[in-house]
Amino acid sequence: MKPDPLTLGVVWGALQSICVEIGSTVQRTAYSIQAREGQDFSVAVFDAQGRMTAQGPYSPGHMGAMSFAVRNFLEAFPPEHLRPGDVLLLNDPQLGSGHFPDFLVMQPWFDRGVLAGFGVNLVHHTDVGGARPGSQAVEGIFDWHQEGLRIPPIKIVDEGHENEAALAIIAANSRVPVNVLGDLRSQRASLRVGERRLAELRRRLGADAVEACQEEILAQTELRVRERIAAIPDGSYPFTDHMDDYGTGTPPLRIQVRVEVAGDRIRIDFGGTDPQTPSGLNSYFNYTRSYVYAAVKCLTDPYGPMNAGALRPIEITAPEGCFLNPRPPAGGGPRAAICTRIFEVVLGALAPAVPEVVTAANSHFCNATFGAWDPVTQRRFVGYELIHGGTGARAGRDGCEAISSPYNAANIPVEAEEAAVPVLVERFCFIPDSGGRGRFRGALGIRRDVRILAEDIKFTNLSERQRFPPFGVMGGEPGRRGRTVVNPGTPGEREIGGKASVDLQYGDVVSFQLAGGGGYGDPAERDPGLIEEDLRLGLITRWEP
Amino acid sequence: MKPQLAFDVGGTFTDFVLQDQQGRLHAMKRLTTYPDPTEACLAGLDELVAQTGVGWEELDRAVHGTTLGSNLVIERKAEGVALATTEGFRDVLAIGRQKRYQLYDLQIDKPRPLIDRTWIWEVPERVRADGSVWRPLDEAAARRAVAAMRERGVRSLAVSFLHSYANPAHERRFAELVAELAPGIELSLSSEVSPQFREYERTSTTVVNAYLIPAVREYLARLGEVLRRRGFQGGFWVMQSGGGLAAASTMARFPVRMIESGPAAGALIAARYGQLCGQPDLVAFDMGGTTAKLCLVTEGRPQTVDTFELHRVRLAPGSGIPMNVRSLDLVEIGAGGGSIARPELGTIQVGPDSAGSSPGPACYGRGGREPTVTDANLLLGYLDPQTFAGGGLRLDPEAARRAVGERVAAPLGLSLEEAAWGIHAMVNLNMELATRVVSIERGHDPRRLALVATGGCGPAHAVRLARALGIGTVLVPAAAGVASAIGLLAAEVRFEFSLSRLTAFDRISEAECEAIYAGMEREAKALLGQSPAAFVREVDLRYAGQGYELTVPYRHARSAFAELYARRYGMASPTEALEATTWRLAAVLGTPTVELPELPPGEGCPPRQRRAWFPELGGWADCKVHRREALVPGQRLDGPVVVEELHSTTVLPPGATAVVDRHGTLVVEPGSDR
Repeated sequence: MKPDPLTLGVVWGALQSICVEIGSTVQRTAYSIQAREGQDFSVAVFDAQGRMTAQGPYSPGHMGAMSFAVRNFLEAFPPEHLRPGDVLLLNDPQLGSGHFPDFLVMQPWFDRGVLAGFGVNLVHHTDVGGARPGSQAVEGIFDWHQEGLRIPPIKIVDEGHENEAALAIIAANSRVPVNVLGDLRSQRASLRVGERRLAELRRRLGADAVEACQEEILAQTELRVRERIAAIPDGSYPFTDHMDDYGTGTPPLRIQVRVEVAGDRIRIDFGGTDPQTPSGLNSYFNYTRSYVYAAVKCLTDPYGPMNAGALRPIEITAPEGCFLNPRPPAGGGPRAAICTRIFEVVLGALAPAVPEVVTAANSHFCNATFGAWDPVTQRRFVGYELIHGGTGARAGRDGCEAISSPYNAANIPVEAEEAAVPVLVERFCFIPDSGGRGRFRGALGIRRDVRILAEDIKFTNLSERQRFPPFGVMGGEPGRRGRTVVNPGTPGEREIGGKASVDLQYGDVVSFQLAGGGGYGDPAERDPGLIEEDLRLGLITRWEP
Repeated sequence: MKPQLAFDVGGTFTDFVLQDQQGRLHAMKRLTTYPDPTEACLAGLDELVAQTGVGWEELDRAVHGTTLGSNLVIERKAEGVALATTEGFRDVLAIGRQKRYQLYDLQIDKPRPLIDRTWIWEVPERVRADGSVWRPLDEAAARRAVAAMRERGVRSLAVSFLHSYANPAHERRFAELVAELAPGIELSLSSEVSPQFREYERTSTTVVNAYLIPAVREYLARLGEVLRRRGFQGGFWVMQSGGGLAAASTMARFPVRMIESGPAAGALIAARYGQLCGQPDLVAFDMGGTTAKLCLVTEGRPQTVDTFELHRVRLAPGSGIPMNVRSLDLVEIGAGGGSIARPELGTIQVGPDSAGSSPGPACYGRGGREPTVTDANLLLGYLDPQTFAGGGLRLDPEAARRAVGERVAAPLGLSLEEAAWGIHAMVNLNMELATRVVSIERGHDPRRLALVATGGCGPAHAVRLARALGIGTVLVPAAAGVASAIGLLAAEVRFEFSLSRLTAFDRISEAECEAIYAGMEREAKALLGQSPAAFVREVDLRYAGQGYELTVPYRHARSAFAELYARRYGMASPTEALEATTWRLAAVLGTPTVELPELPPGEGCPPRQRRAWFPELGGWADCKVHRREALVPGQRLDGPVVVEELHSTTVLPPGATAVVDRHGTLVVEPGSDR
C-alpha cells in the first residue's frame, strides 16, 4: 500500500527530527570541545534492514562511511543476535570512517521487542593514544599500529550491562580518558533518546505505516537524484589536483579523477591517483566515498533527503593501493586533511558541465592537535584546533565568507577553548587580500594565533594549501596560499609545514593562516561597486587590474 | 476590579483592549502609523477611553506589546551603532560560528552583520577564562578609541571583551571612560546584557541591544510621557519575548529582551483559550496584516527557547542573528493580509513582502496598487466591504478587482475569481509549510493538535490550513482579531536576572549560594524600584567538563537535574561531579488574571445571505453570514458560513461545522476538502 502524502511527510519529518534530537543531545552532553563546540560528529537513522533513511545536519563526510559501517556491524553481529539494550562500537579505519579517533556507536532500536531500526552516531574523540597527542600525526607513521587503539566491532553494552573491561582498555589507552569516556556516554545516551522517539512514532502511526513510508522515501529519493543526474550533460569529465605533501620534505600527492555521466547514472573513478603513503596521510575508501557522495549531492539535489536511495545511482571506484583506497594497515589518522580535496576535484571536474552550481576551491581548514603538561592544573591535556575559512567563488556571487565546507562543523569559541585547555588565542580574523580574484572573489583566508601556555608541547599540524593554492574556475584566479608560522613578528619567527610534527616551548605562538578561496570568472569583469565595497571594508587593500 | 488597558502594535494594525470595572473587554483596531507608530496608539487609546467612559486616572496599568525591536533589526536603518572588542577580534561578528545552515547548498550566504567592520574598534586588553587579567586595559589606547568614536558620530556602543562574564572590570572601566569622554554615547556592556560564555553569541546579543537602545528608549519615554499628560498614573509595562512583562523603564536598558514582544502575547492567549476548551496541546496561529506567527503549545505552555534567532534564511536554524534571550519558540513568515501576490514562472507567488498599512492592500483605497491577500479575500466574498474593521475602513472592491485582474489574472490567463482563489490557496500553502516546522519537525503530529486562530486574518484561513494538515479541531476565540492585546493583560509580570559564576556545585555551601541570590535580589529591587511579590531561584547545572547546562529549580537542584537530564538526554550519570555555571533569579511582581467573559444566552438572530466563492461548490454559491455578537452558546453553524465581527472574519468552507461554546469561542471541525 502506498502511504498517503501526509503520513509520508510526518514520517520523513519525524525521522529528520529524531536525527536532530540525537545530534543536539550529543552536543549538549559531550565533554570534548570538538564535539560540544565544533560539532565534529554525525548522526543517522537506519531501517531494520540496515539502510540509511535519514541523516542529521552535521558532518556529511561521515555519512557514506556510516552505511558501510552498519553493514560491517551486522556482519559481526547478525540481527538475530541483537537484543534490546545492546550497544555496538567500532573504530577500525577500514570498517568505519577511516581513522581511530572516530568512534562509531550503533544501537539496535526495538519497539515492543521487535527490531525497528538502528540509531548510529559517530564522534571524533580527542585522543585514542598512538605516537602523538590527538592521534592524527602524518610524520613518523608507517602503519596504523602507531596511531593508537584499534577496536573491531564489539558490544560495549550487552543487554544493558556495560562492558567494563572494554571501557577500561579504552580509558587506559587515551591521554584524556575523562573526555573519551564522557563523550562515549553522550553517544550512548543520545541513541536512547532516538529509540524512544522512533517507538513513539510507530505507536502513533502504526509500525507498518512507518516502514512503508521509509521504503517510499528511499524510492522517491533515488528517483529524484536520478532525474537530477540525467539533467547533467552526458560526458566524461577529468580533473587533476595535488595535495602539498605528506610530511616535511616529501613530494606532492597527485589526485586524479574522472567523472562519467551517462543518463541517470554517474561514475567517479580515481585511476591515476598516487599510491598510498608511508605516513598517516591516507584516506580509507569509506571516507573517500563519503566526500564524493557529498559532492554529487550538492550538485544534484541539495534539498532532498540524504539516505541510501540518494547513494544508489552513484558508483565510485579507486584503485586498491592508491592513497584514496589504501590497503590495511596503512596509517589514516590525519585523513581529514584530504576530504576537502576529494570534494573539490569532483566539483572541478564537473565545472564545465554545471558551471552555475559549482564553486571554486575552498580555503582549506586546519585541524592541528597538541598535547602538553599544564603547569597550573598539574595535568596532561590534549588541545584541538578546528579552524575553518570560507568557500570558493560562485557563478553569481563571491565565496561565502567564514563558513565550513564541505564538512559541516562549527568553530571552537575562544572562550570555550581557553576554559578547557591552557591557551590564549591572540587573534581570530580575516586575512585581507587573500581571496582569489575573479569576476567573483573567493572568500578570505582566516587567521588564528594561539599561544600555548604549557610545557613540553608535542604539536602536530594538519593543514593544506600551503604549496598548491585553491584553484579558481571559469577564468578566476587561485586564492592566496596558507601558512603556519611559529612566533610571528619575533626574531625567532619560522614557518612550519602543513603536516609537521614539532616540539614547542611554553608561551610559543602558532599562527594558523588559511588560504583564501579561488575566484570565479575573469577579474576584469568584476563590478567596480564590489571592488569599492571591499576596499571600504578593508577586505582588500588594493586592486590592480 | 480596577480597569486596565493593553495595546499591541503590529506591522499593519495596532490593537487595543480596555477592561472596565465590570471586567468587560472593549476592543478596537487601527492602522499602524509610519514612521511614528505612537500616532495610532494615542488616537486609538483616546478613542477607546472616551468610548468606555473610564477616566485615565482610574486605569491601574497600561500594557504594551510592540514589534518595534524586530522591525529595527530587519530594516537595518539604525545609524551610529558601534562595537568595541578585544584587540585581535574585530571580525567576531562576521566570522560567527561558521556552521553551514544548509548542508549541501553551495549557494548559501550568511546574513550581513548589523555593524560593519568600519564601526568596530579593537581595544588592547585581555582577561583569561578564570577572570585573571593577562593584559591590563591600555587606558591611553582606550581613550583614543573613544575619541575616534565620538569623532565618527557613534550614538550607541556595544562593549564586548573576551571573558567579561568572568570578570567585567575592563568593560566597566571602558564604560567609565566613555561616560567621561563621550557622555552622549549609550552603552550596552556584554557583562550586563548577556553574561554568558561563547564570545560570538554574547557579542551578537549585546550588539542587538545597542542597536535598539536609542530608538526604543526615545519611543518608550515619549509614550510614557503622553500617557502621563493625559492623567494616567498607573504602571506602564512592556511584553518581553519570553512572555513576561517588565517595566518600560527597565526595558529601555535591555531592549533586546523585547525583540519579539508582540507575538509572545498571541501565543499566551491561544494557550489560555486552548485550556478553556480542554485542548492543552495546540498550534497557536496568529495571522495579522504583515506576517503569520506559529508557536507550539504543549500541556498548556508555549514552548520557549533560551536563544533566539532573528532574520533566518528560509527558516533554517543557524542562519540568523543569534541572541541569548529567552523567548517563545516561534516561527514567523511573511504571510499576512497585506502580503503581495505576483505571477512567477506560471504560478502565483505570495509574500513575503507586504503592503503593510501604508499604502496597504489595493482595496484600502490608500494608493496601494499591488494585489494582496486581503484583496483576494474581498473578491471571493469572504469580507464585507461595508463592515470591515467595524466599518472603520470602507473597502473598495473596484480597486481590488483592478489590482488582482491586471497584475495576476491577466498575465496568467486566469479569471478574476480563479486568480483570487489562487492567492488565497497559495498563502495557505506557505503557512502549511511553516506549521509543519512547528509541529512535525518538533516531533508532534498535527493531527493530534488543535489550531487556535487569532489575528485579523487568522480566522479567514485557519479552517483550510487545518484541513491541509489533518488537524481535527480549530478554535476561533471571540475577539480573535485583538487576541494578542488580551494576551498582554493575561501575562505575568516577570523580570529575569542571571549571574555567570562557574562553581563546583558539590563543594559550594548553602551559605555561599544564599549570598549569591541575596546579591541578585538586592540588584533586582534596585533595578525594579520595588519589592517583587516573589523571587524564583534557578541554577544552570551540568556535569563538570560539559559545555551545556540545564536550568533547574535551586531547591532540590540535584534530583531535579538528574530527573530532567535522564528524561531529555536518555540517561543520567549520578556519580559524575556537578558544576554550576549560571545562577538565575526571576522577580515575579504579580500574576494578574484576565477573566474571559462568558457569552450571555439568547435567541440568536437569523443570518444574512451573500454570494461567496467556494471551488468545491463549483464557484459562486449562497453563503450564510452571521454576526459574531449575535451568536449564542450552543449554536451550531454548518459551512459554507462567514462569521463577521469587528476585527476579523471567520470563513467556514462547505463541510466544516462549528459550535459556539460558553465563552463565545467557535469550536470548528474542519471537515475535508473532498
